[in-house]
Amino acid sequence: MVSDAVADHAAPVRRAVAAVLSASLIGLFILPIVALFLYAGYGQIANAAGNAGFLNALYFTLLASGIAVAFGILLGVPLGYVLARYRFPGRSIVESIVLIPVMIPHLIVGIALLVLFAPTNPFGAWVAGIGIPIFDAIWGVVLVMVYVGASYVVLTSELAFRTVDGEAIEAARSLGASPTEAFATVTLPQAFRGIVTGSLLMWARGVSEIGGFLILAYAIYPSFPYGGPVTNTASVYIYNLYSTAGVQAAAGASALLVLVALAVFVAVRVLDRTGMAWAKVGWFA
Amino acid sequence: MGQGRVVRLSDVTLSEVVVDRERFRIGPVDLTIRSGSATVLLGPSGAGKTSLLRGIAGFLPLQRGTVRVDGTSVERAPPERRGFGFVPPGLGLLPHRRVRQNVSYPLDLRGAPDARARAQRWIDHFDLAKLADRYPTQLSSGQRQRVAMARALAAEPRALLWDEPLAALDVESRDVLLRLLRELIESEGIPLLLVTHDPTTAFALATNVVVLEAGRVRFHGELAALPHAPLDRFMARFLGFETLFSPEELATAMDGPLVRALREGSGPGGVVVPDDALRWTAAIAGADLAWVSAVRWTPRGWTLALRQGPLMFYLHSPADSLRLRVGDTVRLELDTTRLRPLVGGGAS
Repeated sequence: MVSDAVADHAAPVRRAVAAVLSASLIGLFILPIVALFLYAGYGQIANAAGNAGFLNALYFTLLASGIAVAFGILLGVPLGYVLARYRFPGRSIVESIVLIPVMIPHLIVGIALLVLFAPTNPFGAWVAGIGIPIFDAIWGVVLVMVYVGASYVVLTSELAFRTVDGEAIEAARSLGASPTEAFATVTLPQAFRGIVTGSLLMWARGVSEIGGFLILAYAIYPSFPYGGPVTNTASVYIYNLYSTAGVQAAAGASALLVLVALAVFVAVRVLDRTGMAWAKVGWFA
Repeated sequence: MGQGRVVRLSDVTLSEVVVDRERFRIGPVDLTIRSGSATVLLGPSGAGKTSLLRGIAGFLPLQRGTVRVDGTSVERAPPERRGFGFVPPGLGLLPHRRVRQNVSYPLDLRGAPDARARAQRWIDHFDLAKLADRYPTQLSSGQRQRVAMARALAAEPRALLWDEPLAALDVESRDVLLRLLRELIESEGIPLLLVTHDPTTAFALATNVVVLEAGRVRFHGELAALPHAPLDRFMARFLGFETLFSPEELATAMDGPLVRALREGSGPGGVVVPDDALRWTAAIAGADLAWVSAVRWTPRGWTLALRQGPLMFYLHSPADSLRLRVGDTVRLELDTTRLRPLVGGGAS
């Protein structure tokens, strides 16, 4: 409830309108998921959980998305820091470029990456030459996930770095912290939550991707670090189930994927809180 | 700790600092701060005080000049090697650390084995024991000031540089902090350099005062000398004198004994009429009459604005004895021995 409302005779009406509009959107978010679970029922979810092919696709997706998020943090956090801290010519162009992956349809991302990494052109030939398999391999999936998701890490960490108290950094320097120590003990702990949020968004975006995978990595053949049988990403696997075994089978696998995503979401939030607690007792110091 | 320290600034100049969208040079400043003394950098906002302090602390490059601590130059060292405890106006406490960990932060950085015990000394000294497990956001502004002070001292600084220490404090917290700062100056022997825009802070603490205006030093000396310093318009306004007239204003005023006395007491920049140089009495027909233009009540008494032609005189009257209203006419009497001539310049 709104607790800071001042005396205002129109307030109840405004509150009612706001409540109805908000509830509509929340309902739109929640109802399809509820419908999915009801439609799938325990039986189909259990079926999916017993389907070795789907479980393998799920395992592969978690592996690839984990690697992708690691790359996203490695490359995205420094860029977010640079954008938050420095003024340089072309900065607004860089900011616009960061938004490109969010703006363009992801099927097109797949086609563009296909063209770029095709061994028929010099760049694609060079990548293939150094032994990084892109097509129908885990690295193609990771590539697509980084492309479509790293922007979220950049944007949220930029915002997080912007809100770090500059005076706290200067005070820390004056108290004896080198620039690196000040970054580790002041900047990073304060930006930590933003980086976690960005990583989570990137992960969710990567797991929900399908367009890029359909083009670049429809079937996944084993290559380091994935050593399992030929598989698909979970999203492609569900799409295949939908087109071959029908809605009900797809609904069971979909519900299971939603459960896994929710579990990851909750786990990261809990870890985030623990991480903050650690930061508070000097984890970063 | 820090006994007999001397911080000496020579020819300290910062180039092209942008303050409030105006670019100007700050300095040159020559200054010596000794143990057991406080120097206050005083000036209106936008004068370049904060930039000068940040230059000394190592966060802005000096164009030229030296900063020596006990004879050792530190102006080329990074902030962390200068050994100054720099406290920014917002204090810069670490929001993700509890009070205890904020205070022990400088000791943790050095890996001091007895960090906890040494931090505890300052926590106790500043009466923070009960608050030690709170986060900075859970403290009042006065409590946060004490945490900042404890943390700065835990670092065993060679001098304390504090930007606007009394900003955003209520009257009671101000008094507590002033007392703590005075104790610090006397007992710890740490040279103190404070920045403030508020002359009353300076009067409460300073041994020495540097007044800056648009980057230039307008006064530098002992606090006791400040009231006797040659006044220009800027200094007079800054020190709180309300009644001052330029030569042009005096030239256009109608001739009379009062105006003639003011002209005689005037310097090249005009004249200041201190509060105690002016008295009003009941109007008698004749010269030197003024009419009451405004009457303002303050807890310390009445402030009167009295107009005579183009000249506006301000004076104060005890709280209980005012019989005047706006529009009344009074006679002004001037003690000419108390007039202060103004030197030229000081446009503000």
